[in-house]
Order: sequence, then structure tokens, then C-alpha cells
Amino acid sequence: MIDARRLSSRLGTFRLDAVSFTVPTGSYGVVIGPAGSGKTTLLETIAGVIPASGGELRLGDRVATRLPPEARRVGLVYQHGYLFPHLSVSDNVAYGATDQGSVDEVVHRFALHELLGRDVVSLSGGERQLVAIARALAMRPQVLLLDEPFSALDPRRRTVTRREVRAIHREWGLTVLQVTHDFTEAGLLGDVAILLDRGQVLQFGPPEDVFRKPASPYIAEFLGAENVLAGVARVLADTAPDWMDGASAALSEGHHAIEFTSGALRLYTVGAPPSAGTCYAVIRAEEVVLARQPHASSARNLFRGRVSEVVTLGAYSRVTLDVEGVPLVAALTARSVHELALVEGVEAFATFKAMAVHLC
Amino acid sequence: MSIRPGITSVLAALAASLLLLFLLAPIGELIIEGAVPGIRQLATDAELRAALTLTGLTATIATLLGVATGTPLAYLLARHNFRGRGLLSAVLDLPLVIPHPVAGIALLLVFGRQSAVGGVLLSVGLRVVGTPIGIVCAMLFVSVPLYVSGAREAFARVDPRFESVARTLGDGAWSVFRRITVPLAGRGILAAAVVMWARAVSEFGAIVILTYNPKTVGVLSYDRFTTYGLREAIPVAAVLVLIALLPLALLRTLRGDRVTNVGGKR
Repeated sequence: MIDARRLSSRLGTFRLDAVSFTVPTGSYGVVIGPAGSGKTTLLETIAGVIPASGGELRLGDRVATRLPPEARRVGLVYQHGYLFPHLSVSDNVAYGATDQGSVDEVVHRFALHELLGRDVVSLSGGERQLVAIARALAMRPQVLLLDEPFSALDPRRRTVTRREVRAIHREWGLTVLQVTHDFTEAGLLGDVAILLDRGQVLQFGPPEDVFRKPASPYIAEFLGAENVLAGVARVLADTAPDWMDGASAALSEGHHAIEFTSGALRLYTVGAPPSAGTCYAVIRAEEVVLARQPHASSARNLFRGRVSEVVTLGAYSRVTLDVEGVPLVAALTARSVHELALVEGVEAFATFKAMAVHLC
Repeated sequence: MSIRPGITSVLAALAASLLLLFLLAPIGELIIEGAVPGIRQLATDAELRAALTLTGLTATIATLLGVATGTPLAYLLARHNFRGRGLLSAVLDLPLVIPHPVAGIALLLVFGRQSAVGGVLLSVGLRVVGTPIGIVCAMLFVSVPLYVSGAREAFARVDPRFESVARTLGDGAWSVFRRITVPLAGRGILAAAVVMWARAVSEFGAIVILTYNPKTVGVLSYDRFTTYGLREAIPVAAVLVLIALLPLALLRTLRGDRVTNVGGKR
């Protein structure tokens, strides 16, 4: 387990500011955030190479806030590997190893046999990352901290290595915390996602919650939500069902029918009553369905508009529909765009479910 | 009006050539005139041989003392930000900026017979002034700042993340210093020690105040010059220059290495 409670540290003028989150024992956490948000500093503070200036850190069942790095049993893998250049690859892997069996196991699992005799300076960036991961695992850590560990690997090797790390994590019951810029990787690997910005944790929780229910429009935009609309929300009725007058069933938290207005757009959603004043509606582009004809469905939101832009990247297309001046972005396959003949200027209909609208 | 790059290059080359000529002409003349007679004289001149041995030995002892005491200081300055760091650096540079005879006088004040420290040392049988110990003190004083400065740079060039990784792999601070920092900074530290040794060998001003006899090669060449004239001083001076060339060659070999930051980029 990694349990940070208002953990703070300082590196030059940068401050990691009272961050709190928990990655349960045997879970895989991912840290995401813009460049310079303090992701590496967070890992270094957990590893103990940057001393904590405040708060508490628990690793497993121990309070580790003041423990020296060598007493924490934390493996740290930097993006650039930091292999010791005066040692051979095999000496690097064995550097902190508990026994030869551990070395042999990681060498086998990451297929490093051919690299063992090589000089460290002759390795490629990807090979260095592999050796660095193996070196950290050979010491059998209780916590593994990975700072963009797969960034220099080619796509095939990245998939294989990611799978292997995930397998070791499961087999050994290892707690992992990985920094990544790749949201797909974060979604694939993570049990817990931690969003960091300017030294502070903005949001943490299961990746699907962080991605689908961002706590602020800034988070939504950072996480790549294309449709973030500012507007005003109002609860349609305090009792259920909302379409019948005089109904009496009281609503529990998070079950209100809500109308959200942004310019000419009027959305229907359900959830907790939003705070007064301006709020934001987030709709992921993947949730928006386009059609050339309106059709009846269970989706509560249906809008007519004109296609203002079509951007195609391989098999993926991003279509922007202008709905009375409000741009609504939908993610489609290129094939759907072709079959529906979606080109700039044509009329189209966008639908999405009330559940696809997240208010923050 | 702008100067064309061609003219700038010619002017720069001319200035550099003049400087090189200024540096090389006296040394070249000295070697041409004195190297062969100096080497021949080594076989017959017992005083020159003794001076050479004494110079090598005292410079080596001073360098070893400098490495032993200056290395922790260099590491501290390279790795830690603390109050008074700037002042400490200035104090370390002080011996480089004061005239060396003045350094000799200052040392005499501390280690002379009349001084408290000199008195204590004498009481335990250690005489500094007029002995090889005085030569070592003078050499150490004037040359150790060069070692600390060089070693500090060598440590600073080692990316601290190598040390961080080693700590997480189970090494304590001392073990990391021994297994990671010193090997990675090793060539730079050795180069700094060579520079210190070379500077110690060539020291004259402070030594002549503290210990005129027994004579180092520098003092001997001065002695021959004042007693017998230029002709007699040239072979001794040439031998001193040849000794200084040896560490210089070693230094150039060591500086071929720049590998300390081996991250992921090739």
C-alpha cells in the first residue's frame, strides 16, 4: 500500500503540496498530469530520495516518512534508466538483488540474456529501460515506482513489457505506481488514477471515474474530453419521476433529473444537484452518436446541426457538428464517416444518453 | 558597420598565435638549451638528484593529504546547499589569489617556533620550519584549492539520480559514495589530483620562506641562478619543466573521458 496523507516536499523552488491519495496493497496506480506538475518529484518523495517536508507516508504497514531510501524496499525506475555506466548490464541487474534466483528470473522474464554481456553505453534507450525495470525488480521491492518506463520501447516491445510488468504485479502482489502521459495506458493498467497538477492532487480514484467524471473543466480538458460546455443547470424536480407532477418519491443523492443550458443547447442529464451559478457539462466524444436522420431511441439528448469539420486520423475520425453555434464533437470510425457521407456542410443529428453528460 | 566573419577569424587566429608564441617561446628555449645538459647533470649532480627526490616526495605527500582532506569538502560543496557555502568557496580560493611569498609568511606565523601551534608541534618533536614538513605545508596550502575545485566539478558532473537509484537498491550513503559516486567521478578526481601535484612541484614562493634548506628543484634553480648565474640555473630549470610535462600528458589522457550522464539518450 502507498498511503500519502498531506505529503509535502520541496525541490528547489518547486513544492509538492500536501498530496493525499491511497494505492491499496497489490494495486496498480497511475499518475497523470501535465509536464512540470511534479510527477517525478512525487515518486522521488515516495522513494525517499527527496525528503518529505510535511505530512505522512505509509508504505505497507509501516510509516515511512522519515525512513532512508534503502530501508523502504521501494524500486525506482526513471524514464532514462540511469544504468550505472561503469558496470556491465549483468552487474546492473544484480546490483541490489536479493539473490541470484531473482536475477535469473527477471533476466528470463524480460528476455535480457543477449544484453547481459553488453556495455551499458552501447544499449538503446528502450534496452536501458528494460534493464532498469529488471534491476528494480531483482531486489524484490514491496513497492515499484515507474517514471514513464515504456516510453523508449518500440510498440511491440512496449506491449510485451507492459504485460510482463502487469503479470509480475499480480503474481508478487506488488504495489505499483506509474507515471504516464498515455491515457490509454493509464486506463489499461490502472486500478487507481492520480491526477497531479502544480504539485497538487486534483483528483484520484478509479480511472473510469477520473476520465468520465472529471472534477473540474480543467481536468476534463486535460484528459482529452472534447466537449466541455459552460452553462447553467437546474434540477427539474426534487421528487421522482420528473415528468409527472405531484409525484412523491423522495430522491436520494445523485438521482436528480437535471436540465443544463449552454447557449442554444439544452441538455438532459441525471446526477447530484449542481452548485449554484455557472457549471460545466462534460461529454466525451466517444459517447456522441451521429446519424443523417433523426430516429427514436432511449437517448434523451437529440440535436440537429451541420457538420463543420471532419478530421480523419487513420481509422479514427473526429467530426464537429455545429448546433446553433455550439460545437459538438463526435468520435467515429472513418468507415462510419464514409458510409454516412459526413462531409462539411451536410445536416446531421447527434444523440447521447443523459448518463453520458457529467456535470462539474 | 559589421566586420565580416573572415576578418574576425583571421584576427582571432592571429591573437591566439601570438599568445601561444608568448607561452611556448620561453619554455621551448629553456628545453632546447637545458634539457640534454640537465638530464646529463642528473648522473653527476647529487644535489640535483636529492632536490628532485625531495620535490617528488613532498609533492606526493601534499597531494595525498589534499585528496584525503579535500575530497569530503569537494563533495559537500558539489552536493549540498548550505548557509555559508559561498563564503567557504571564497576561503578556499584565497590561497590562489594571494602572492605565494605572502602565503609563506602567513604559514610562518602559524608554524614558526614562536607561534602557539609551532610550539606545540615542537614539543612533540615536529619541526615545520626548515624541514620537509614545511615544504609539504607550503605545497598543500597553495595547491589544495585547485584539487578541491577540480574534485567539486567532477562530483557535480555526476547526475545525483545515479546515487538516488543506488540508494533505493539498498545502499547506504557511504556505500553509494564508494560504489557509484567515486567510480563515476574518478577520472575527474584523479585529474584534479594531478593538477595539484603539478602545482605543488612548481611551487617556489611559499617554500623559500618556510624551508630554504633542504632544497626543492625550484629553490635549487633559484639558488644556482643567484650564486652561479643563468648558465648554471638553466639545466636545473629544464629538469623542472620536464617533470611538469609528465603530469600534463597524463591529464590530457584523463580528460578524454566525459561519460558521467548516461541516461537514456544516446
